Parts: sequence; C-alpha cells; structure tokens
Amino acid sequence: MKLAVCVKHAIDETELKLDQQGRPILQGAASKMSTFDKNAVEEAIRLRAAHQGEVVAVTVGPAEAKKTLKEALAMGADSAVLVSGVEGDSLSTAAALAAVLKKMGPFELVLCSEGASDTYSGQVPPMLAELMGLPYLGYARAISLASGRVTAERSLEYSVERAVAPLPAVLSVVSEINEPRYPTLIQIMQASKKPMVELTGPELALESRGGGVSVVSMASQQSNRKHEMVAGTPAEAASKIVAALKSEGVLST
Amino acid sequence: MSGEVWSFSENPAVACEVAFAAEGLADKAGLTQATVQLEEGGGASGRSVLVISGPSGPFSPEVCAEALFRAASARHPRAVLIGATRNGRETAARLAAKLKVGCLAGVTSLGVEEDNLTGERSAYSGKVVAKIGARLPAVAAVKPGVYPPTTAVSSTIAELDVGKVERQVSILGTTPKEAGTVDLKSAKIIVSAGRGVKKKDDLGMLEDLAKALGGALGCSRPLSSDLGWLPEEHHIGLTGVTVKPELYLALGISGQLQHVAGMKDSKVVVAVNTDKDAPIFQASDYGYVGDLYQFVPALRAALGR
Repeated sequence: MKLAVCVKHAIDETELKLDQQGRPILQGAASKMSTFDKNAVEEAIRLRAAHQGEVVAVTVGPAEAKKTLKEALAMGADSAVLVSGVEGDSLSTAAALAAVLKKMGPFELVLCSEGASDTYSGQVPPMLAELMGLPYLGYARAISLASGRVTAERSLEYSVERAVAPLPAVLSVVSEINEPRYPTLIQIMQASKKPMVELTGPELALESRGGGVSVVSMASQQSNRKHEMVAGTPAEAASKIVAALKSEGVLST
Repeated sequence: MSGEVWSFSENPAVACEVAFAAEGLADKAGLTQATVQLEEGGGASGRSVLVISGPSGPFSPEVCAEALFRAASARHPRAVLIGATRNGRETAARLAAKLKVGCLAGVTSLGVEEDNLTGERSAYSGKVVAKIGARLPAVAAVKPGVYPPTTAVSSTIAELDVGKVERQVSILGTTPKEAGTVDLKSAKIIVSAGRGVKKKDDLGMLEDLAKALGGALGCSRPLSSDLGWLPEEHHIGLTGVTVKPELYLALGISGQLQHVAGMKDSKVVVAVNTDKDAPIFQASDYGYVGDLYQFVPALRAALGR
C-alpha cells in the first residue's frame, strides 16, 4: 500500500528569541521537524512493516524544510516531496497538500499529527480531508488496517471513540500512539541517497487563495509571576511556602 | 453591520461558553447572536436558538460541518464560533474549507475590526500571544474554559431542515476514558509530577499529598506518554489538559514550554526541582531548589495534614 505522511518544518519554539518589544524573531530562527510529526512518521513506518508498501513524506514549506524531509527519510520513509512557494494560511497549506497528493498518488492512507508544535492549530489535517473528499479520523491513539478499511481509537477529551472508514482515508495521530525511533548514523547517511522531489505552488497550478487568515501582531506572553526563590532546609522551605500560600488565600486553613 | 453570529459546540458546557463569546462579539459588531442546535448535539442556551434538523445518528464532525455549511449557505452568518474541543476543531476546519473562508483556531478573545474577525491565540507553546485576523465571514474555534457560560434566556428564531447528510465514518462505539479518571479542569489544587519522580510506585506519595490538600494529581508528558505511569487524562500541557487551578504544585517538573502552556493560567504556582536552572522556575511564584523526596514529607508536616 502507498502511505503518505505530512510533516511540517516548524519553528523550534524552545530556541525562539524575542526582540525588545517582545515580538518573536522569526527571521533566521532555529527550526526542526514539528515534534508530534515524528509520531506520524513512526506510525507510517510501522504500518508499512505490517502491510508492505511505501511511505512518502510530504511537506509544504521553504527550502530549509528539506532538513525535516531528510529526517523523515532517515527514520525510514522511502521518498520525499517538498512543495515550496506556497504562501498563506492553513487552508492554503491543505490545498497544496491535496494537490501534491493527487499528483503523486493515489495514496491509500494519509497520516498527519494532531497539530504542529509551533502553532498548534490542528487545522490542516481535517481541511486536507475535506478538500480531498476523503474520510477523516482525527486524534487516533491506535490504528488498524484490514480488508480495505481503517479502524481507529480516537482519543477525545473524556472518551475514546472507535470509528471505521473505508480507504483511502486521512488520519491524525496523537503522540501516545507510539515512541518515535531515533535514526542511526547509517540511516542518516543513507537518507541523502533517497529520492526527494521538489515542486512549487505554480507547478501544481494552485488556485486556492486559502482562507486569508493572517497574523496582525505578536507580543510576548505577559507573565506576572513573583519568581520568589525560597531557601533553607526542606522543612524551612516548606513552612515558608505554606505561610505564603495561606496569605495568598489558596490554602484553606 | 448587521447579520448573525452563530455559536456551536457538541459539548453542552462549552456550548454555553461559546454562546457567551458570540453575545460579546454581537454587541461589539451590531450583530445578532444565535446558538445552533442540532439533533445530534449542541446547546440551547443563548439569546436565540437556531434549530437545524436533517442529520441523524451520533455526533460526528463531518456530519455537523456539512449541516452547518448548508445552514450557512441559506442564512449567511457573518461569523460562526465553534468550541475548540477535539471534535470542534475538526468541525471548524471542515466548515471553513467548505465555505472557503478563514478559520481562527483556538482563540481566547474575539473582536471585529473593519471587515475582519480578529482573535488572540497562544503560539510557540505559550511563549507568544498572536493576534490573527480574517476577512468576514469567518469561522473561529474558541478555546474552552476561557469564557463564562451565558446567562441569556433563549427563544427560537428559526428552524431549518438541511436534509440528510451522508457519513463516510462509522462510529463503532464510545467508552469513557479509564476509570478513576481525574477532573483536573475543576480541581482547585493540582499536585503535578515530572521526571524528578524516580519510579512509578513513588507517585503514591504525591497522590497522598494531593488527597491531603483536597486536590488532584497531574503530570508532565513523559510520565503519561513515554513511561505510561499515569493515564493520558493526567497529562497537563499543550497536547494534554489545560488547567487553571488556584494552586499548582510542580514537583520534579523541568518546565518545558509545552508543559507550561497547559498550566500558565494557574493562580499561584509553586515549583520544586533539583536543577536551579530548570525553566519551571520562570513560570513560578515560589520556587525551591531541592529534592521532592525530602520536600514532600516536609510539606505534609508544615501543613499538619
């Protein structure tokens, strides 16, 4: 079977610096494969091991996104596709993915993660399913394939829903579904020999302008924490903290 | 400006919050608020209710999004606000894709500026607040737990039959999450465990502390997702539960951004960690550099319980 896994080359939020006005410095910011996408890549590789076939890693992003595709290849994807030159919002990204998956497909299964680790809006996977007219199973914590159908345990806030859909289908996975592997040095070296295709938005003849969502402004998250460090032995610290919490009114006396 | 602002959530409590958000937006922009009620789900509170019939069976985002799309094509609301539960995020994204409009995902505030719907949301694991906007009409997924519930008394403004909706996904069954599930969202005090806890059995000590305080036990992602020491319902963070208790006690938690994103709205935060440079101290009111194994018994003694 042919599996696609959609990945995002995301801003590394742990390394992100803010300027003096508290705005993030995105120009030249450190970037990496979106943390949760590793679970989607891992799941695709495991499904391939169980059902044979091939895994194609796909991303929409700038040229630097090749770094993320190389990581997916090192983890075990067979080939990779970069779509560059796409501007816009989640709907634009979903439209670009839908176009490239149609061009490179047909795929029986399209895997995504629940959301990107930098923006975490979780919009692209369901938009992609909608645009492709395919069934969608979101927030899967377990997936099984049998006789042309995919069954998933969907992890919702207070319940787990078991649902089934005919293939082809789009799925998003939650991070508890698996433990992503670390590629070995040999796998990392072999990754650069695997095929990587680069396409641009105009080559895909994208018409969609997306939904027109744009960022108006950004500011640092205001924190008004006290940052009081308490010193002393554990017993001394504990009594100071208990006294402070009582005066804050958050501990019943 | 005239027209309607719709609110919807399949979760009755969240539906009341989203209705409140829609009422506020309606007042700012001179619009009329309407709570959407479907047979398969949705609230009935708000200033007015729009009853949509046609689809049947258990709630599913694909069916709901199609029903909302058909209703929106008939009544042309200016904005549709949907509670950003997991199913709600899918519903909002699908509806926006069908309508070919923008979707503001996971917003915590809303406004109308000129011809745009605007909203604020957290980005980069809570490091940044981004204000985003999209031309009206637009869809927004409103973060649960931000707005209070509506107190408005509703009357039905319209009933709309949108016809049958085909399902691509069949729901086989739904089970509540593991027994003994915690309700972290309503807990006043949360004791939260991180990698500083050396083995699973030691969680008992923290659970006892939580009980003594009348609170609940939470944890950071490694303990639930990687080690599996606690069910996923205990996981506080970006991809887990978002909490805002009166008191949050972070014990042995390093304070990665993704964890802080889930607890940053707590009223008072206390952190204990052996590493003086642990980022959790940046997100805390009171910090103690030390071993939680020594601190917890000392805290129990200081509390006298």
